[in-house]
Amino acid sequence: MSEVPAHIDFRANVQRVPPHTPVSVRKATSKFLDTRQAVVEVVSDERWQALRQAGHEIRLHTLAHLDHYLARLEEKVRDAGGIVHWARDAADANRIVVEIARAHHVTRAVKVKSMATEEIGLNHALQANGIPVLETDLGEFIIQLAGVGPSHIIAPAVHLTKEDIAALFTQKLGVDAPPDPLELCAIARARLREEFLAADLGISGANFLVAETGTLVIVTNEGNGRMCTTLPPLHIAIVGIDKVVPNWEAVNVLLKLLPRSATGQKMSAYTSFITGPRRSTEEGGPQEFHLVLLDNGRTRILKDQVTRETLLCIRCGVCLNVCPVYNHVGGHAYGFAYSGPLGAMLSTQLLGLNTAADLPFASSLCGACAEYCPVKIPIPEILLRLRRRAVEGDQIERAVAPAAIQTGAKLGALTFGIPWVYEFGTQMLKYVQAPLQRNGWLPHLPPPAHRWTMARPFPAFGAHFRAWFRKRKDEGGRMKDEE
Amino acid sequence: MNAREQILADVQSALHRKNDSPVAPIPASARVAPRVAGNTDTEMEMLFSEISKLGGITGRIKKSGLKIALEKLVKEQKVKKATLWQTAELAALGIAPALTESGVQIVSPYADKREIAECDLGVTGVDYAFPETGTLMLRSSPVKPRAVSLLPRVHLAIISAAALRADLSSAFAEVRGSNYWIFITGPSRTADIELTVTLGVHGPKALYVWSVG
Repeated sequence: MSEVPAHIDFRANVQRVPPHTPVSVRKATSKFLDTRQAVVEVVSDERWQALRQAGHEIRLHTLAHLDHYLARLEEKVRDAGGIVHWARDAADANRIVVEIARAHHVTRAVKVKSMATEEIGLNHALQANGIPVLETDLGEFIIQLAGVGPSHIIAPAVHLTKEDIAALFTQKLGVDAPPDPLELCAIARARLREEFLAADLGISGANFLVAETGTLVIVTNEGNGRMCTTLPPLHIAIVGIDKVVPNWEAVNVLLKLLPRSATGQKMSAYTSFITGPRRSTEEGGPQEFHLVLLDNGRTRILKDQVTRETLLCIRCGVCLNVCPVYNHVGGHAYGFAYSGPLGAMLSTQLLGLNTAADLPFASSLCGACAEYCPVKIPIPEILLRLRRRAVEGDQIERAVAPAAIQTGAKLGALTFGIPWVYEFGTQMLKYVQAPLQRNGWLPHLPPPAHRWTMARPFPAFGAHFRAWFRKRKDEGGRMKDEE
Repeated sequence: MNAREQILADVQSALHRKNDSPVAPIPASARVAPRVAGNTDTEMEMLFSEISKLGGITGRIKKSGLKIALEKLVKEQKVKKATLWQTAELAALGIAPALTESGVQIVSPYADKREIAECDLGVTGVDYAFPETGTLMLRSSPVKPRAVSLLPRVHLAIISAAALRADLSSAFAEVRGSNYWIFITGPSRTADIELTVTLGVHGPKALYVWSVG
């Protein structure tokens, strides 16, 4: 259960990362990547690249006509007997779910793992209104017991060892839990089976919403997703408006990309396709189906041509697995439900710069994420755009960087943008630095640059690079040595 | 303005679109050529090999040997109660009488969910199967209740060669009128604890797939 943070201080969060986290995280991410590699190789690189391109174009096309596909989806879900709600923000969505639950006198709810519900803090809202809700994905069940948010969008408890989990089960469930994955699974199975049968509300998200037929696609492995959407008489799905896809051809392509990228599976164990409530008592399934379409900042993301591509994301999590920063700090450092490069670009935009301006800087811009992304999101480009927004501001948000940095950035833009100013500046530096220079080094600089020289001296500025280079060549420097 | 109108208006303003703005066709490059099927034998072999890799148990069984195979399964998995789809195909194979003869109590698939949950075995057919990924596709209908493949400890799926499809796309075209179907690819699994694959978290712990004929 995560709550929406007021401010994310990435550096401070990094300081709090427990020492064994990077080890657990890297063990998991490297395994994810190995299995992914194996199933991608079977497909052949040529076909894989064609699939990625197709995935990219399908998602881009959908975003470019999002109003059309949303309206179509709504109509089809209604035709199938489902009830559609629209939520502008987290508070809206939580209120809608609480109202439905109250109207049906819900006493206990079971939940499928869903990032949208983590994003809006739904569990917190339900529990505050006296409706107990239980996470049923094993990883989510574990972190709910631990009282923390997910540290990976696919494997939420990836930061914990089996010993941690055994201790948690022993403490919170009052059972004697050995540190053995098989035994721990058995404990969770027995515990949750009764909950599935007793629950009167099942809550899920969705991986895709198919506009053509109004169908919810849910990709899972454990079977808890099927339990939650089959056994309780009431099913509520909370889904971001970015999850819509036009048709079944699109689903075909995306289902080839998602499980392979996410868990290295050719197909996940269970993929459910749900169109409205049940049509007959005999087949079983919920009598009532509600779909809550969630905006919560997504329409704002859509406004900017560059950052819009954030919404292409199909939440596979491969960008986390390949990210050197994520591998060092784990998911909790990102301070919100989404972590890694996905968190750096999505949380920043969903929460706004006042809360999350640190996040686009939590990246080395190495570009591995973009190379692996199954729908080819230009993640580094988006992060750069967001950095620029934080410092300079744009039509979406005002700058939030400290005044000195804003002024510095403006001066920088001016200097680098006009050749003669740049020329002049390089000439002037010689004179400006003269009083501070000691033997070709600048040992002390005035604030704010003193933070650099506190650690190490700064090399004195030379002359013009081209002049320096010519001189070096004439003097028979390294260039000649190498011949 | 209500939330719906507001969201749609925000989307349109962000995209510079209006209610009557045209919808461009999906670009041709967004399509990927469907997989081409081999002959039935190799396709079935591929399907079974993929399912086995995932921990499923496959078998080609002659109609005459079905009774013996069921007896063996009942012993192996200590089956006491079983529930079945009510399709003509399963009825024609005589699975329910064979199970009864092996001493298994048959529970109606329309019984309360708690009774279904107590079953050791659920027997279903297979509507479509995709060899490339080892995936079975099961549609729900009044004679094919959803819980049969979900709640019992063991799931037995009976498949015929006619269910094989080369690619998802052809099956999607055939089922789009249905309101519910499920892809099953191996038994229930998780890797949430230290990425150790563990079978049978919430769904069936064992998956048997038999082609009978």
